[in-house]
Amino acid sequence: MKAFVLAERSDAARELCAGARTVADEVVLVAVGDMEVPAAVADKVLHVALPEGAVFDDAADTVIAAFDAEQPGAVFAEPTKHVKVVAGKLAAHAGASVITDVIAFEGDVATNMFFGGVGQKQQKAAGSVAFYTVGAGVFAEAQASGTNAVEELAWVAPAKAVKLVASKPIEKSGVDLFKADVVVAAGRGFAEKDELKLADDLCEKLGAGLGCSRPLTEGVDWLPTEVYIGVSGLMLSPKVYVACGISGQMQHMVGCNRAGALFAINKDKNAPIFKQCDYGLVGDIKTVLPALTAAL
Amino acid sequence: MKIVVSFKVVPDDQDIQVSGDRSLDYSKAKPIVSTYDLNAMEAAAQLAAANEGSSVVGVTVGGSKIDDSKMKKNVLARGVDELYMTADDSCDGLDAHATAEALAELIAKVGEYDLILCGDGSADNYAQQVDVQLAAKLGLPVVNGATKIEAGDGFVTVERTLEDVIETVEVPLPAVVSVTPDIALPRIPGMKDILAAGKKPMNVAGAEGSYANAIEVVDCKAPEQADRKLEIMDAADDGAIEKFAAAIKAAL
Repeated sequence: MKAFVLAERSDAARELCAGARTVADEVVLVAVGDMEVPAAVADKVLHVALPEGAVFDDAADTVIAAFDAEQPGAVFAEPTKHVKVVAGKLAAHAGASVITDVIAFEGDVATNMFFGGVGQKQQKAAGSVAFYTVGAGVFAEAQASGTNAVEELAWVAPAKAVKLVASKPIEKSGVDLFKADVVVAAGRGFAEKDELKLADDLCEKLGAGLGCSRPLTEGVDWLPTEVYIGVSGLMLSPKVYVACGISGQMQHMVGCNRAGALFAINKDKNAPIFKQCDYGLVGDIKTVLPALTAAL
Repeated sequence: MKIVVSFKVVPDDQDIQVSGDRSLDYSKAKPIVSTYDLNAMEAAAQLAAANEGSSVVGVTVGGSKIDDSKMKKNVLARGVDELYMTADDSCDGLDAHATAEALAELIAKVGEYDLILCGDGSADNYAQQVDVQLAAKLGLPVVNGATKIEAGDGFVTVERTLEDVIETVEVPLPAVVSVTPDIALPRIPGMKDILAAGKKPMNVAGAEGSYANAIEVVDCKAPEQADRKLEIMDAADDGAIEKFAAAIKAAL
């Protein structure tokens, strides 16, 4: 079987190629634009050069042409917005649907979240080609290999092109919560932006990264969207997770319930998080956090 | 401009019960508009308000249960002028490909339109694929991750907030655009809006075609809960904070 890998970031490309290798005899990496292609990960690298003013997503027609020529049996895609468009167009072309945000594979049966983790669905492709988007970490143990024979694809222009006017990098906080052993998360219990200082102090003491639940990034911009933990945000599994002023809605918990040890601080003793943590502390973050930081 | 906003009706996840065998029981869960589709509706209403002579049509496809009068009024109380709905048990649990097919047939009844808006992802599957599949089916351009939309002459200028960059793009109309929750905060409809909603046109019909899923669901259950210690302390008790701190240190 031949597998396609669609990714726009090198780390994801490497991991997905490694994962594809576990089920496919031939791994073909589709590299769009100026992504740095990781060394020795695929048998073939199909490179798509983006014309001036074209968006990544519009590489879909070129990728469809390559798909028809190569006829892969499976497609593994990185779950970014750009790649989700390309994967979706490819699936539509094949009369298929993408099984998205897969968290585990068992043969051709893929598991993903249902209602943000209330349930887990096990699904497989009904047709001859399987399409998946797969998050970071699922194939962390797999080994990539290949000679990376590069082939340049001829650009197939879309019928109705989207015009790229500007692209500016998002200023990142520099924190990569995926790499943090300890994550402190702030929630609605923080009544004012100034109070985040208390969480910062705790982070400094623990060498932790600071994340948050949705109320702190939506509507208010107390913390950048990129550190939002939960459904459609980060899904983390740190050694230690300290949830501060977070009630424990499923939409958030799905992003942290794979943590090694889960700690919770909340002033409401009936908060659902106290049914899902290892250690809970009932109290107001305004008084508890400084005391905790001092006690550590 | 004529704006179609596509939304999904899902069981209210607050009332989904987990049975002893970990199967999910929806019998107590009322049909509601999937949370982030409310943001898409608000974005549609605001875009319509900013462009004189605009109208907003809501479209949805699902099982017969979605034909719920409270839910329909809720939609029409949010700046949506007219509703088109395919409510048919053959449309329950469709995957993205099949949903797009059913939506495309429904949208054909709406007539001419300029823009189709979708939400970020549905509360149940969160696949973020119906926007793309629908665009492919209709032969339209599509962009996702929209945090701002401005109407131009024959195109919309869309700001997309992606993982690493913010893109500004021009999308020729008609087009499909899916929006992030940040684009607009859903309004809270007043009593007047809800009363007026009951008088707006609601076009509800059964399915005309049959739609086949391309994904086979093998199983769907609540996950096994991680075994947690559940040691809850009151911060006001003597030594509680020290004990909590010691537990954190031990886990590091």
